[in-house]
Amino acid sequence: MATTALHPAAPAYRSTLYDWVTTTDHKKIGIMYLINSFLFFFLGGLLALGVRAELARPGLQFVTDQTYNELFTMHATFMIFLFIIPILAGFGNYIVPLQIGAPDVAFPRINALSLWMLPLAGILLILSFFTGGSAAAGWTSYAPLSEDRPLAAIGPGQDLWIVAVVFIGTSSILGAVNFLVTIFKLRAPGMTLFRMPIMVWTVLVTSILVLLATPVITSALIMLFIDRNLGGSFFDPKFGGDAILYQNIFWFYSHPAVYIMVLPAMGMISEILPVFSRKPLFGYKAFVFATAGIGALGFSVWAHHMFTTGAVYLPFFSLMTFLIAVPTGVKMFNWIFTLWRGKLRLSTPLLFALGFLSMFLIGGINGAISAAVPVDFALHDTYWVVSHLHYVLFGGSVFGVMAGLHYWFPKMTGRMLNETLGKTQFVLMFIGFNMTFFPMHQLGLMGMPRRIADYAETAGWNDLNLVATIGGFLIATSMIPLLWNVFLSLRSGKPAGDDPWEGNTLEWATSSPPPPYNFDHLPEIRSERPVFDARWGPKAHGTATAAPAEH
Amino acid sequence: MASSPRTGRSSAAIGALVVGALLVLGVIVVVVARVDVGGIGQRIVASLYPPPAVTDRAVHIRDLYNTVFAIAVVIFFVVEGLIIWTVVRYRRKPGDDELPPQTHGNAIAEVVWTVVPSLIVAFMFVISWQTLNSVEAISAQPQTKIAAVAGQFQWQFAYLAQDATPKKCEDIKPEYTQFAPTGEGGGLYVPAGRTIQLFLCSPDVIHAFYVPQFLFKRDVVPGRMNTFEFTIDKADAGGTFRGQCAELCGAGHRLMLFEVHALQGGDFDAWLQKQIAAASASPPPPPSGAPAPSGEPAPSGQPPAGGPALQISAFNIAFEQTALQAPANAPFKIDFDNKDPGTPHNVAIHEGSPTGAELFKGVIFPGPAKKTYDVPALKPGTYAFVCSVHPNMTGTLTVQ
Repeated sequence: MATTALHPAAPAYRSTLYDWVTTTDHKKIGIMYLINSFLFFFLGGLLALGVRAELARPGLQFVTDQTYNELFTMHATFMIFLFIIPILAGFGNYIVPLQIGAPDVAFPRINALSLWMLPLAGILLILSFFTGGSAAAGWTSYAPLSEDRPLAAIGPGQDLWIVAVVFIGTSSILGAVNFLVTIFKLRAPGMTLFRMPIMVWTVLVTSILVLLATPVITSALIMLFIDRNLGGSFFDPKFGGDAILYQNIFWFYSHPAVYIMVLPAMGMISEILPVFSRKPLFGYKAFVFATAGIGALGFSVWAHHMFTTGAVYLPFFSLMTFLIAVPTGVKMFNWIFTLWRGKLRLSTPLLFALGFLSMFLIGGINGAISAAVPVDFALHDTYWVVSHLHYVLFGGSVFGVMAGLHYWFPKMTGRMLNETLGKTQFVLMFIGFNMTFFPMHQLGLMGMPRRIADYAETAGWNDLNLVATIGGFLIATSMIPLLWNVFLSLRSGKPAGDDPWEGNTLEWATSSPPPPYNFDHLPEIRSERPVFDARWGPKAHGTATAAPAEH
Repeated sequence: MASSPRTGRSSAAIGALVVGALLVLGVIVVVVARVDVGGIGQRIVASLYPPPAVTDRAVHIRDLYNTVFAIAVVIFFVVEGLIIWTVVRYRRKPGDDELPPQTHGNAIAEVVWTVVPSLIVAFMFVISWQTLNSVEAISAQPQTKIAAVAGQFQWQFAYLAQDATPKKCEDIKPEYTQFAPTGEGGGLYVPAGRTIQLFLCSPDVIHAFYVPQFLFKRDVVPGRMNTFEFTIDKADAGGTFRGQCAELCGAGHRLMLFEVHALQGGDFDAWLQKQIAAASASPPPPPSGAPAPSGEPAPSGQPPAGGPALQISAFNIAFEQTALQAPANAPFKIDFDNKDPGTPHNVAIHEGSPTGAELFKGVIFPGPAKKTYDVPALKPGTYAFVCSVHPNMTGTLTVQ
């Protein structure tokens, strides 16, 4: 490691900007993934505020029906395709090579290509607002609504949407290949598969899901494009197509995509909980098998999004959907028993991780409720489902992302974030989140359908909608301490040192931020916690295998 | 997985944990019961349950919901209680720098929390499958057959003959079609206490038939005829139940409302006979809109408009009028005559110019045919009227 030849110094006229735009360093690329994702998080959040503002009171106050449809369509598109999926890929990009002791990913140039396709897709989507309106058929873009221009009143925005999502899918596939090769080929000596941090395992399983599922949605989108522009008739019954076919193909990707959106977040909190409770993860292997189990079962539940179509075999998909709750439950108990009898340090990363545990629990349980098909007949396409998906993707993934951000920010920048601001953000976000999304359970039970711009004053939905809107603006407020915190920290934050949290995994064995080649020297890897072993010696490990801690 | 040496404290701690979780559960139950006095607690609890069930199937679904929800609540309080209790109990004390016992796992615990949840979900699956079978059951001899036709953005209800057995939507030959889904005389009239089979048809995009008090919805898929059955409880005769499209179907999605009116069996027969007689006496729905409502739901819930109607006609993919005037601040009607055979048109009103915000969109329909649109009140100013199908068909509407 120590004999790497240095490149000649870069010419002085190369600016920092040039350096970042042309970089193939996985850490810089990871950070740019995060920045790009957060930009679209804020943009998607603004669109959600538009939705909530419109629904606060009965009557159309701010937007037209068509604009409203654009708002929620693009909110979901930004949040799913340009925030959650890429930000988790971004964390994976930064963290995975460090955690397995590698100097970079296997294909650094392809890595840069994956990154730069994302802003390109984002620009296409933003431009669609200026070309006669963006896509407005929901992020699911069900055919034939998404096909028939006169009936849907959708202009070229839908075509731009298709092209953008295909770009994002391509970026995901390239990223997945990169992760798989990196994880299988570039692990440091001693880093066996079962010594890999759980974060790496979840990225591994996620990459397999991406590789198997993303080409499928790409095919659906290309068929949709052909139908719309080249006279095809895959999905329009008027010309002999099948409207349900689109849903089958779409959800064959988009249900595994839910696990693509949550597994890496699970991996992140599986790093954080052990560090902040000073214990190893409870049931490491059970956790790995549960992750693989979720990945495998994830491919057999897609039609639970289609229970009310009358076109799927209901008992099978009901059974599989119930079953997938089991490995998820195993993970939940493993997390809790990692905390159990630990010594918990309630810093911001742990708070957000606990937020994940307690909110994802609700998302998981109400997922099981809607696996009961007849109950889903009542709940499907109501606000109850909006609540469920946000408890999984916001209560789960976004809280996980915030935990990961506060946990790894010192590693990425060399500066600590302020604890008071971090905790303020957590409290605002936690309260705002529950105010926004819990009442949606009740609205859904009362019969409020999704995706309506307005509702009758007499429907009895006024109070709960107002509460949800206030909660939504509270979530937006919670972003102020976050931004202020990041700004203050970058300007004058406390230096972090190599290992501010007493971490377990290899990223804490190098400087903060790490040098371009990542490691000057690696500690010996004899368990899934090499840095812990180096700090405490083998006796503290609990297993009595004698091994020298230093070399 | 290596396991740590067991200590005597662990069993005591597990006992304390179980007690703690039960306490949390107990406290919640007590709180909920106490607050009931004020009525707020009761309302909150009631809002966690579906609305009153009015069909036989809805009763099955509600019973299933009650069981599944009870299981969910118990699991929630046990696990959430466990999380909270663990966090409170095992906070690190200031100055405590010792390592806790390094427990790596426990095979028995893993088996327990794999098997127990498996049994719970297996139970939930079995009871939901049983309920599913009774909800999906279709009888050979239903007493009433009705087709619900959902098009952008309106419901129609076609009453079929007793012996009709449509296999696909093209087979449907109604004895009487109810064009107005809501309002005076409109809605889906059904006999309480009789089995009703509903056939679902869509000529354009996917919609969904959803009545919250049926605890049920079923998608209306073009190219496919979905069927389901229900019986409204006799005790609910005289009731009106709100229904709404539940699958995004375009800009007018929220306007696709309908009402279900349950009548006594005899009253229903009389109502249907009267409608059939009236329909055969006068030609089918008069295009001018009067006297029967033409069926277009009034946008934004405005009452039907009075006053003179604007005349607009379309021929050869163009409007025959290029400039029109309408009164300000009052709803008005547009009589739209589509003279193009087989070509769909409509009239939509946009703010300022044809690319401005859409304020009104009339139902799209193929010619030759006429329809009357109810347009909500507009402020004084200049508007554009366009055909949503053909953006190059435009005209100017001056409102004063």
